[in-house]
Amino acid sequence: MVETGQAAAAVAMQTFERIHPVEFQRRFLGQNTRHTGREFNQFRALKVIKGAISTAQGSATVRLGNTTVVCGIKAEVCEPDVKRPTAGYLTTNVELSPMCSARFRAGAPSDEAQVASEHIYRLSMHLLDLTSLCIESGKAAWSLSADIVCLKHDGNVVDAAVIALVAAIEDLRLPRAEFDSATGVVSADKEALGHVDVKKRLFPATFVLVDDLCVVADADDAEEQMATASLLVVMDGEGKLVNLWKRGAGVISREAVEQCVERARERMSEIAKVLD
Amino acid sequence: MTRPDNREASHLRAMHCSLGQLNRADGSAQFTAQNTSVVCGVFGPVEAKVYEEKLDRAVVEVKFRSDIGSSTTKDKWVESAIRSTFEREILAHQHPRTLVQINIQLRESDGSVDSAAINATSLALVDAGIPLKSMISAATCAVLSDDVVVVDPTQEEIDAARSVHTFAFANPVSDSNKQGPLYVDSRGNFTMDEYNHCYDLCVLAAERVLAFMRTAIEGKVTKEAKINTT
Repeated sequence: MVETGQAAAAVAMQTFERIHPVEFQRRFLGQNTRHTGREFNQFRALKVIKGAISTAQGSATVRLGNTTVVCGIKAEVCEPDVKRPTAGYLTTNVELSPMCSARFRAGAPSDEAQVASEHIYRLSMHLLDLTSLCIESGKAAWSLSADIVCLKHDGNVVDAAVIALVAAIEDLRLPRAEFDSATGVVSADKEALGHVDVKKRLFPATFVLVDDLCVVADADDAEEQMATASLLVVMDGEGKLVNLWKRGAGVISREAVEQCVERARERMSEIAKVLD
Repeated sequence: MTRPDNREASHLRAMHCSLGQLNRADGSAQFTAQNTSVVCGVFGPVEAKVYEEKLDRAVVEVKFRSDIGSSTTKDKWVESAIRSTFEREILAHQHPRTLVQINIQLRESDGSVDSAAINATSLALVDAGIPLKSMISAATCAVLSDDVVVVDPTQEEIDAARSVHTFAFANPVSDSNKQGPLYVDSRGNFTMDEYNHCYDLCVLAAERVLAFMRTAIEGKVTKEAKINTT
């Protein structure tokens, strides 16, 4: 009898969540808790698997709670830009397909995906020294394309994507390439694989202002739907800031921003532990 | 320390703006800070397409065009920044099932483009008579490699900078210590102290920009009032 009562209560709660998602969240936030039972400044469990895709030169799978992203890096040899003859390329692409959430449609990438791609591209400039991708000045360089595919979208995809990119770059192994100036052909020694020097590791932490009420770390999809502002803090390994990006009109006070940065500092070592 | 254009570190470039230049738009503005110039045209509230209309409020759409080249993800990034800044400052609930379209064209770019685009948008929205909660003003500053902080940097300074910070504030800007900024994009390699220092400088700069934008609007309104009475 008790069990059926509990089951009925669970069904009633699920129904409530479906019909009044906003009110459902507010009941929790009003009691200073989150619907998943997490603390306001608690991140979800992070799991990183490096080298998950054997056909890519570097890859990583990242799970952040129920959010799953895969990053694969493909390396090709190409001619460097005339303006920067000693630099290679790193391009990033974030894919949010209909597979990861019902909110996305097939076809051209959504604005959210394009903005995420662009932002991660800007961040990636801190990750690698592009001159380390040079094979022969003005003649040949590595072009890396990092494809970040979201498999399950349960909020905070940007954090997961940045961590996946860092892990995939660390996993990346490039064959030793030599440029033959007589023939103009690049030959690669596939036996001699080497790592790429990572200039800086990036440690992201996203905070979201839910319903203009409370700032929570690592929001899931339901919380993100109610977000009025979001703050991304990216740290390098030494505790310096690389990026602080606040969007949305909700008020995150100056002190709250400082608290978020402090929390991001702690988060840095949490992520570093998982990455190593 | 001298800047390429001999400005003091805390000085903004000479600003210029003109309202209502585009006669087919409901409101328009051009915001110029020497070699950075942005034109913004606003249409709205107009009829929204059926699939995008919201039953309880107006939809805000932002289109940003760069000065050179075709549309890239970079432009999408700026669009999203501007939309997120203005979406809730526009009193969208007063015009349900409509669309407010903000079109921004970059004319010349020489650094601090994001803040110029936000300022131009703010002016154009006022010119179009779209109800706003407050006017938004933005400012950029950069920390150079020798730790000098400069306000309203040119592209040359941005390229050499260690970090670049863009902030947008709602009016009154002086409330920003309590209210916090509407939009922040700080990028590069910086500490929290540097961030705070830039924040304070941008508050002062945004205040000056806002005062300038106000005079521009007042000028236009008094001119129109004169025409109407004569």
